[in-house]
Amino acid sequence: MQRAVHTALCEWPQLVSPAMIRRSLKCRVPLQHSCRPYSVVPPLRNAEEGEMLHRMLRVDHAGEYGANRIYAGQMAVLGRSRTGPLIQEMWDQEKKHLAKFNEILSENRVRPTALLPLWNIAGFVLGASTALLGKETAMACTVAVEESISEHYNSQIRALMEQDPERYTELLQVIKEFRDDEMEHHDTALEHDAESVPGYWLLKNAIQLGCKAAIYVSERV
Amino acid sequence: MAALLRGLRAGRLLRGLGTVAAVPTATNPQCSSLRRGFHCAALRLQDESKSDKPPSSSSSSSSSAGSTYHEHYQAHASEHTETASHLGSDPAAETTNTSYQDQSEEQDEEYETEEQLQARILTAALEFVPHHGWSMEAVSAGAESLGLSSASTGMFDNGAGDLVLHFISKCNSELTEILAEQHNQVQLGQAERKKTAEFLRDAVETRLRMYIPYMENWPQAMSILLLPHNMPDSLKHLSTLVDDIWYYAGDRSTDMNWYTKRAVLTGIYNTTELVMLQDSSPDFQDTWNFLDNRIQDVVNMAGTAKQVQSTGEAVVQGLMGAAVTLKNLTGVNQRR
Repeated sequence: MQRAVHTALCEWPQLVSPAMIRRSLKCRVPLQHSCRPYSVVPPLRNAEEGEMLHRMLRVDHAGEYGANRIYAGQMAVLGRSRTGPLIQEMWDQEKKHLAKFNEILSENRVRPTALLPLWNIAGFVLGASTALLGKETAMACTVAVEESISEHYNSQIRALMEQDPERYTELLQVIKEFRDDEMEHHDTALEHDAESVPGYWLLKNAIQLGCKAAIYVSERV
Repeated sequence: MAALLRGLRAGRLLRGLGTVAAVPTATNPQCSSLRRGFHCAALRLQDESKSDKPPSSSSSSSSSAGSTYHEHYQAHASEHTETASHLGSDPAAETTNTSYQDQSEEQDEEYETEEQLQARILTAALEFVPHHGWSMEAVSAGAESLGLSSASTGMFDNGAGDLVLHFISKCNSELTEILAEQHNQVQLGQAERKKTAEFLRDAVETRLRMYIPYMENWPQAMSILLLPHNMPDSLKHLSTLVDDIWYYAGDRSTDMNWYTKRAVLTGIYNTTELVMLQDSSPDFQDTWNFLDNRIQDVVNMAGTAKQVQSTGEAVVQGLMGAAVTLKNLTGVNQRR
């Protein structure tokens, strides 16, 4: 940390060219070439911060991608039923979230998780299989997944707030907004008889365990 | 204000005395620096006592100011070493001096200085690579060309690996600068945006051309990079290189394409490098032709993949249509 501060202070052009700054900071964000002055992620100070932020963004992106596929699977089965429009609406919001994360990832040169094809298939299968078991099961699946995701976003918000709330204001705003949306989905699904499924407790915990495992793996791979 | 200046000068003087005192066994170049340092320190002491009013009060105030400003001065040690140092800015004296100073205070600049110093030595050593190969001899020749003792190669515990990795990272930085410059030109509208295939071709060619001065010894460098303890670093450099090239080529993908594109470019780069090793045509023309062909292959494959996908979709739609027609014909679709 001290070293980073010292490096920042000594950033005088007589000695240190931008390329050297990049190398010494081991920072991968191009210093001079962000097209907009506003960016959700602040300019990185050092490698550890970059690592941490990239990991968070990677797993968030994977989460939204998975949620997208789950809703796609549910729509494939229940698309033409009464709950079709409801699921479609929730799916559209998830698509917006995914688009936002795609934008953030490409701006900040974050590597997406290598397990995306796995989440693609797993998400679709989960959505489709729960929908096949009935509308209530699909809602129960939604409750479980949205609860997992909200919990995950909350822990990220806590981590960022612990570090430096002012520095990460925009990122915190984005995550808070998405967390609120996910909680809304969770509540909507509860309203639509999610708990009336036999074996609700078992199903919910099984899905949440799967989500936790997925989050753990996506952070690292 | 005057007291501040006096304090700073006294601080510099104290540091000079420290240098002079701290040099251990003096070799010939260090002897002359010792004498020089001593001389300068003596001159300054004279100067100090002449220019100030009562020598006793000035020396006492400057010594007390000096001790408090000593720490302050140390914080700016790195700037002062770069700008004109009164002690002849001898890097050997500097390195031996810092090892005797308070470690905790100087931790930051010492680390910075050592890294920069290592970089300087390795860059200087590159000149001697054609003669000595990628080895510690080249590094010690480089150190000597900077005026340091060849014993400073003891800093590099990875030996030739350090030299090769430094060269690779230097080449990567140069390439990134060139690509960034081109990107700027396109943004400013001063240059046309290149097509992806052409861009990749030019980037890989530019990067491989940096090896031309060292082509004789490049097989040795490649074998050093393949050593198990160098593999992580060399892979990291390679992945950084490929990611940079794709970023400036305009890739903003966030799905599996991210991986496939980089894997493909890594393959192209590595195979072209291998071809370059045994290429004896004028200006490596064969290598660039090989590169052209490989990139063309990739472009063709991407085009074919797209065609296959659209054909597949069309076929599926056709089958679905046929199934519905069949169902209609057999009357299965009717509800009675």
